[in-house]
Amino acid sequence: MFDRGILLQVLWTSLATASFQVLLTIAFALVLKVTKIWNFTQPAMMGVAFYAMYVAINWLGAPLPIAILIAFLATAALGLAIERVAFATLRARGSEPITFFIFTLIFAQFVIYVLTLAFTTEPVFMLANMVSPTVLVGDVVVSTWDLHSILIAAALTFALLLLLRFTRAGQYMIAVADNADLAEVYGISRAQSYVLAMLIAALFITAAMYVFGSKLAVYPELTLHMMIFAVVATILGGIDRVFAAAVAALGINVLQQLSVLVMDSRWQPLIVFSILFVAIVFFPRGIRLPARRVADGRTATPALERAPE
Amino acid sequence: MEFAGSMLIQIGIFTILATSFNLIIGYGGLMSIAHPIFFALGAYGSGLLTLATGLPVPVGIVFGAAFAMMASVALALPSLRVSGDYLVIASIGFQLGVLQIIKNSDWSGGPGGLSNIPPLIHAVGRAAIWSYVVLVCIVAFATILAVRWLVSGEYGRAITAMRDDEEAFKGLGHNAVGIKLVLFAIGSGFAGLAGGLYGHYFLFVTPEQFEILYSAAMLTMVVVGGIRTVWGPALGAVLLQFLPQAINFLKLPSSVTGPLQGILFTGLVLLFLFLKPQGLLGRAPGARVIADEDEPTEAAAK
Repeated sequence: MFDRGILLQVLWTSLATASFQVLLTIAFALVLKVTKIWNFTQPAMMGVAFYAMYVAINWLGAPLPIAILIAFLATAALGLAIERVAFATLRARGSEPITFFIFTLIFAQFVIYVLTLAFTTEPVFMLANMVSPTVLVGDVVVSTWDLHSILIAAALTFALLLLLRFTRAGQYMIAVADNADLAEVYGISRAQSYVLAMLIAALFITAAMYVFGSKLAVYPELTLHMMIFAVVATILGGIDRVFAAAVAALGINVLQQLSVLVMDSRWQPLIVFSILFVAIVFFPRGIRLPARRVADGRTATPALERAPE
Repeated sequence: MEFAGSMLIQIGIFTILATSFNLIIGYGGLMSIAHPIFFALGAYGSGLLTLATGLPVPVGIVFGAAFAMMASVALALPSLRVSGDYLVIASIGFQLGVLQIIKNSDWSGGPGGLSNIPPLIHAVGRAAIWSYVVLVCIVAFATILAVRWLVSGEYGRAITAMRDDEEAFKGLGHNAVGIKLVLFAIGSGFAGLAGGLYGHYFLFVTPEQFEILYSAAMLTMVVVGGIRTVWGPALGAVLLQFLPQAINFLKLPSSVTGPLQGILFTGLVLLFLFLKPQGLLGRAPGARVIADEDEPTEAAAK
């Protein structure tokens, strides 16, 4: 029905464009897993990351690596402030989820307005030259940007996997995510884990905005729309399952890109919203493999879910 | 005088919106930010029906409100099956999804908006404006009274119990989902009604007017005025209409005025969330009130 070359091209392109969405999804899913907060301040962090890079390169004339470092520091500082000043205060007050929700959403919008005041609503490109050299691999056009973005996403994801599996700080984060009160009994500081989660999120967000900003134009409000994708992927992957959320982000992106073969591209965003509804109604705990299909004898679902009602 | 009349009409419409939003997010504790989309559905539903069929405008407005109400049930039913957190996600998706449909469809006027909506009051000039002011104020007042009636008495206690401890509420054999659906439908119905009144006064609506940033304005009215207070959202609506005017008087370029207004009202919410979470009309922490969310732990911390 479709030309094999076109299909391969679409698949490759969706893999490349999924890279920044995978990074944003991991940032969102990790903060949710560890802090149990739906971090809708993420668009604010995304905006700060991008415009810090933009200012460093275009106004200060900084080289790209320095600009990325400045962006990370700015985003990390914002993430730290959000965690230590806002979230910690609301937690100490025992605020309801609705208060966290109002804060995160309004704070994101506040930062978007500040960025709009500073940079207007005009989309801006981060780099002067956005053209990426391409090579033909078989029937597929592969650009340098494609390779860079896939490598960055893969390297950071693998690094996070190693951090969570093999370092004490990572294991502490998982312990806090599983049961923060119990973790504290064992002398693990939940506050430190919360901060670390925000800092890692800042790193992933900076990387994502670099990948996105080195190909496409950004305007302040765009970050709010970009975050929806991360939320959908997090739900579909299953809350608490950071890497499954990343796989979901990849899957949704492939589906979205493939849709151009059968429908008008203006309806593409609707696919994400449709998936969101299907996920909420049919897979509120995400798509999970049946327990018996896990080869090493462990169950695929946590013990909590098997506990009697 | 025309300016003052227009301001009062907007205050009235925003009072209806903020009061009905308070019913959902405040009294019901339902984390939804899709209120602007029900406002939009009321405006578009009423405008399209009256344009297409020539039916009287009041019929269109009632239809718009009913349409918003039905759409809210369509959103709430699936998302209320699971944890409350999902409602906020579903509401964001619903709002953006419906806006996407409105923006990309020809029947809605697309991104350019829907124009030539027939007016509710056909007369022109000062009399027409002040008639509309009176009408909108009556509807706004009726909305406040309706919400007050709903959240007081036995049903109001059930709402509070459901919000404060849903599991215990369900354990006593009550239907929490039923109450949530009722609150959601009534709140959204009022938003649809406000949308109809808006559309048939300004005679033109565009999708941009109902974007997600609009949710911030409504949250501001509720939080600044006093969440879970009967008159707070109305006070918030008054403040949120007058404060931006102060910036307008500075005669700044529109590229500056818009973001400044946004910074003003989102900044106000942030200040209130941390310094005066009970809002202007809410009771101070420590006062004996069931509705004040932060009270028990703050008192304990002291």
